Amino acid sequence: MADPYKPRAPFAPWDRRTLPGIFDVEESARRVGNYKWTEMKLFEALGGWVATVPELDVKMRLGTHCYKHAWHAELWHKRLPELREMNPERLTAPANDAMVRFIEAMTEPEAPELTIEKLVGVYRVLIPRFIAAYTYHLNGTSEITDAPTIRSLKFILQDEFEDWRDGEMILQSLIETPEEAARAAAHMQKLEAIMIEAGGIAGIGTLGAL
Amino acid sequence: MRKFFPVEDLARDSRFSKITIADRMADQRTALNVNVDADGPSKRTNNMRLTPSRRDASDGARGLMHGIFVGEIQALEGAGRTCWDFETGTEAPFALKLDMARQCWDEARHVEISVKLSDWMGSEIGQYAENTVLFEAACSSDPVLRLAGVNRALEGLAIDVFTTMKEFGDLAGDQYLEFCEDWMLADEVTHVKMGSDWLRKITENDPERRKKALEFQNVVDKLFSYGGTRSDSQESPIGLARRFRELAGFTDDEVEVIAEVSMQALNERKVAVGQIREAKRLADQSAHK
Repeated sequence: MADPYKPRAPFAPWDRRTLPGIFDVEESARRVGNYKWTEMKLFEALGGWVATVPELDVKMRLGTHCYKHAWHAELWHKRLPELREMNPERLTAPANDAMVRFIEAMTEPEAPELTIEKLVGVYRVLIPRFIAAYTYHLNGTSEITDAPTIRSLKFILQDEFEDWRDGEMILQSLIETPEEAARAAAHMQKLEAIMIEAGGIAGIGTLGAL
Repeated sequence: MRKFFPVEDLARDSRFSKITIADRMADQRTALNVNVDADGPSKRTNNMRLTPSRRDASDGARGLMHGIFVGEIQALEGAGRTCWDFETGTEAPFALKLDMARQCWDEARHVEISVKLSDWMGSEIGQYAENTVLFEAACSSDPVLRLAGVNRALEGLAIDVFTTMKEFGDLAGDQYLEFCEDWMLADEVTHVKMGSDWLRKITENDPERRKKALEFQNVVDKLFSYGGTRSDSQESPIGLARRFRELAGFTDDEVEVIAEVSMQALNERKVAVGQIREAKRLADQSAHK
């Protein structure tokens, strides 16, 4: 056995984590507050829609995904005080007014014939935006100082990818005609236009400045 | 999407048919009719508990499983609406809504399990009609009343139903059924406890609101004791699962109240059935004169 008293490097040769990150504590907390607000709006909408969709498989998927996004909101809620925000409600906010309008437009469809619109808003617009914002955060933040956020981001991203795949496959199975494809595209375009104005889940600069 | 969704708008595919609770109880295929003689008219027995030895056991269990299936759909819908209908913080605590979202996932799994169990038992989706009274209990404008009506009264009933079905699976040697009921029972105990905990927490300093919630729970309990389908008596198809109810946060006194309400409903039903039989006997007698 190796001599236990022999000095070893604090970072193993295979541990390539680096200290610098692109967010300070304040910016990280602001983004986490935006994530929490949006995850909350999403889980509430998914829960509300369960009663409005006639398709049994969609009903069950929405119920399952509702919890996943609630859990994400809870993770962010718990992270905020660790980022010096002792009143998590203060930062639990939309990035801007356009984001509020986006959620209003996304949650507007209610009729049982509008399952395609409901799913397009979530799985073709919002969740891809979540994946983008979370990936940017994961790749940009300090691997050492912000490790707790990274851990949550990795768990959450795994859910987002799985839910996106579920939702996209359901959509592909629901869209059977060119007219339905046009409906999906029109609704996506309408929501994307608002999302572009919002700049993403964390507002302008969600994915940095190019 | 509106806040507060009317029960008549619940979305279903073409296989489903909605009926009232009275229609449901009158369905001769259901195991829940205490006035139907399980062993035939000439061999009336006092033991009506749903067991494999009943002549109508197969059909009864299938009907009950379908009832569980549609009940799980409505429980999923109700929990989902509680996530949506109330503003976080001002109308419902964040943590309560997280619990409701968790319940959505659990109920979605229960729907999945029920579909597979129904298939296993040889029935199809829509073979029996659906009454939507469970969702109606989830339509209150006060989240505490929803928790009292759904989590404590209806999920409490689910504890009784799953315990009976688990025993049915055990007696029938159906490990598949017993296994699934055991898992669903664990979730239901969690949901009832959720309801008990939130009811106490939110109404801690509001005795009037607590009183209203408990009254609403009693109304729902009584409604679901309709016809004495659930009680301590062997004359009821479904037993009262006292031990699991205690685990779920019911006090001894609360369990006694439910037991009393259930027995009362059973006795009322027996009197009604007796009156119908007597009237029929008299009618037959006068026809033969």
